[in-house]
Amino acid sequence: MKYILMMNATKANFDMYAQWSKEDLQRNVAFMRAFSKELKDSGVFVATEGLGWPNEARIVRAGRDGEPITDGVFAESKEFLAGYWIVDVESPDQACKIAARVSAAPGPGGTAASMPIEVRQVLTSFTDLGI
Amino acid sequence: MKYILLMAGTKAGVDNYRAWTKKDIDTHMAGLKSLVIDLRESGELVADQGLTGPEEAIVVCGQKEGMPVTDGIFPESKEFLLGYWIVDVATPERAYALAARLSTVPGPGGAPTNMPIEVRELASHPLNWS
Repeated sequence: MKYILMMNATKANFDMYAQWSKEDLQRNVAFMRAFSKELKDSGVFVATEGLGWPNEARIVRAGRDGEPITDGVFAESKEFLAGYWIVDVESPDQACKIAARVSAAPGPGGTAASMPIEVRQVLTSFTDLGI
Repeated sequence: MKYILLMAGTKAGVDNYRAWTKKDIDTHMAGLKSLVIDLRESGELVADQGLTGPEEAIVVCGQKEGMPVTDGIFPESKEFLLGYWIVDVATPERAYALAARLSTVPGPGGAPTNMPIEVRELASHPLNWS
């Protein structure tokens, strides 16, 4: 069963993160790298991506002739996807345990950041279907 | 440059989609499939993924060395990720054009859904942990 673990954050959360001390950021990034390696070593790793910052996000709709109309204004409450991991596990519980590990990634001063991680099972992708 | 095109919607939006006729849903899915085929042919497709519905969503918090604390309650306004496409394109404008095409995939009665698609570059700064 494949699950996606999503880290979502508001722009204010991102701004706070950007103000962490260099030491705190390095500790957090080191954890994320070790975490990905651990997922790979244990054979559950499928994919991971980190996304660019919210100030570069654009919302796109099609205009009358199909041309893109872009907008970069968002509600303050909007949750931006910061990054995700896809894991192939035996049970939803295993996915939640892995999510709890990443949620406990070190934050300021090395204490667990306890970020909420959204967990959802993924569907078969077009790519999986060979399309 | 790699961009991710995110399709998201509220639980109400997903309920609305599920009430579409089978024909409308089939036409919609055919539109999405056709886009994936075109992206594969142009060599721009990196990955695509659909997610299960919002009712399957769980939020997990963990303390250091602690057991997961799970919850499945979200505000009505929450936008759930429904699916994404990762594309490798030459310019941001090309990513916006592809997002616009996603937005024109047919909805009820064959009219474009006009769904907003969020476009984000994948991080290439040191914080990308992959």
